[in-house]
Amino acid sequence: MKIAIIGSGPGGYVAAIKAAQLGAQVTIIEDSEVGGTCLNWGCIPTKALVASSELLAKTKELEVFGIELKGKIVPNFSKIIERKNKIVNTQVKGIRSLFKSWGITLKEGRGILISPEDVEVTLKDGSKEIVTADKIIIATGSRPFQIPAFPFDGKRIISSDDVFKLKEIPKSLLIIGAGVIGCEFACIFRELGSDVTIIEMLSRAVATEDIEISELLERELKKKKIKLYTNVKLETLVVRDDVVHAFLPNEKEIVAGKALISAGRAFNSNGIGVEKIGIQKGSRGEIIVNEKMETNVPGVYAIGDVIGGLLLAHVASKEGITAVKNIMGGDEKIDYSVVPAAIFTSPEIASVGLKEQQATEKGIKVRTGHFQFRALAKAHVIGEIEGMIKIVSDETSDRILGAHIIGPHASDLIHEAALAIRTGLTIKDITETMHTHPTLSEVLKEAAEDVYGEAIHAPKK
Amino acid sequence: MNPDNLQYHKEHTWVKLSGKKVTIGITDYAQDALGDILYIDLPEVDTDVEANSEIGEIESTKATSSIISPVSGRVIEANENLSESPEIINEDPYGKGWIAILEIDDASELDDLMDASEYTKYVEEEVK
Repeated sequence: MKIAIIGSGPGGYVAAIKAAQLGAQVTIIEDSEVGGTCLNWGCIPTKALVASSELLAKTKELEVFGIELKGKIVPNFSKIIERKNKIVNTQVKGIRSLFKSWGITLKEGRGILISPEDVEVTLKDGSKEIVTADKIIIATGSRPFQIPAFPFDGKRIISSDDVFKLKEIPKSLLIIGAGVIGCEFACIFRELGSDVTIIEMLSRAVATEDIEISELLERELKKKKIKLYTNVKLETLVVRDDVVHAFLPNEKEIVAGKALISAGRAFNSNGIGVEKIGIQKGSRGEIIVNEKMETNVPGVYAIGDVIGGLLLAHVASKEGITAVKNIMGGDEKIDYSVVPAAIFTSPEIASVGLKEQQATEKGIKVRTGHFQFRALAKAHVIGEIEGMIKIVSDETSDRILGAHIIGPHASDLIHEAALAIRTGLTIKDITETMHTHPTLSEVLKEAAEDVYGEAIHAPKK
Repeated sequence: MNPDNLQYHKEHTWVKLSGKKVTIGITDYAQDALGDILYIDLPEVDTDVEANSEIGEIESTKATSSIISPVSGRVIEANENLSESPEIINEDPYGKGWIAILEIDDASELDDLMDASEYTKYVEEEVK
């Protein structure tokens, strides 16, 4: 079986390795950097910045921890970026060597579908080559969405990709869009010393999360003195005197050194030949696939951001594995019912399964349990007491339906709930399971106990 | 002790009436139950609040808790000193730790509140 994969992000490269493991002969085509958005402009670089900014935040508490500082602590943005580059390079090399070890051929150039079996690759030197395969997987990803009225100039009006080209920490930063990307960068740059303002069209920050999570995040943003305007539509954005002027409907003007537009993602489905071979696209330009990751053209699959579902690296990887298993003779259907997801704000946010409102809308009678990190000794030990967990369960079956966490290490803590939901475990299964003391994992157990009003470390209700 | 010149709400807030204005704060019992106060989300000036509704939030080392307004009115001042030094509430809940000043239209709402001795009794009952 010969497989050609266009795009080497977390969808494409994982698919490539899986396919090689299952015995396929794999060619992967990449016209930018191996690892895609996730590794080069997304997940990994932003988390490197988060690591630097959180370390800086910690140093503001040195005295509280009983450590004296004799001198000054100053963030150096170019060194922060240098560290980020080092991390990214190590990971890129890692993927390249995995390709080598699994005998995967990497073609560095732009791939365009010319038939359901052929991809024309324009290599870096301009020469062209045809890659012929039995099956093709499109994994071309997405890019920052450009609002037509406010195009990126890469200097003053920037995208999330441009952030990594900044030479210094902006004195003031306006962020358009309080979604995942906007809120992550707001926290990073606020900790690094920028004066940060966010404007959001919807009624709350991280609007896809449970409302209680949004409320708590908004309070934390307020504590950091990040200004957030919700229910506000940007009317005009102009660069004048080398600064950005943003005008809001109430004639309010915001002036900032830079404006970061994080208003969603656009799908990379143009200029890759999908129209030519008759692949169906949706209204937003996303490639339409079925549960087996098949497009309408037999033998051509699509995975990851370009199919426009949940724009998450681990979802792309799972879709890649599903596509490959089907190509190799399996009969796999993707299941999106249990997708853990994290937002690396400070504090972190993570969620899996149903929100209370979603469950109620589905007609399920639910119970909820809450627990605050500040009621946990370990949270005090590490000096990070902000946050809470909310657990949603089915009143009839006692099964866990969803978990929503905002607090330290939320992104690591969510997986106990993910496994519990996927395997149909109950609240009792969690409460009966010992959780190590003192650890942050105790929040899940206490929240499960709280479903029945019996959290040990919460006052009587 | 709970001062005699104040009136008290069952959600552990107090009011002090002077003309058409009232000052609001949380009681000594509330600050003691919360423990060390770390942050207060103050009400915004010029917002209208309803009696028995939330006007802000307090975070302590132990808990986060809503501040319930004992009366209806318009917020005309919030105690900005608390933003930087929320521990003032622990130190002086009936004085420097006041939270907001409201302009009220219906002073009769205060009739529903408890006086100092009623509140003291109420707290004793709650502790039991």
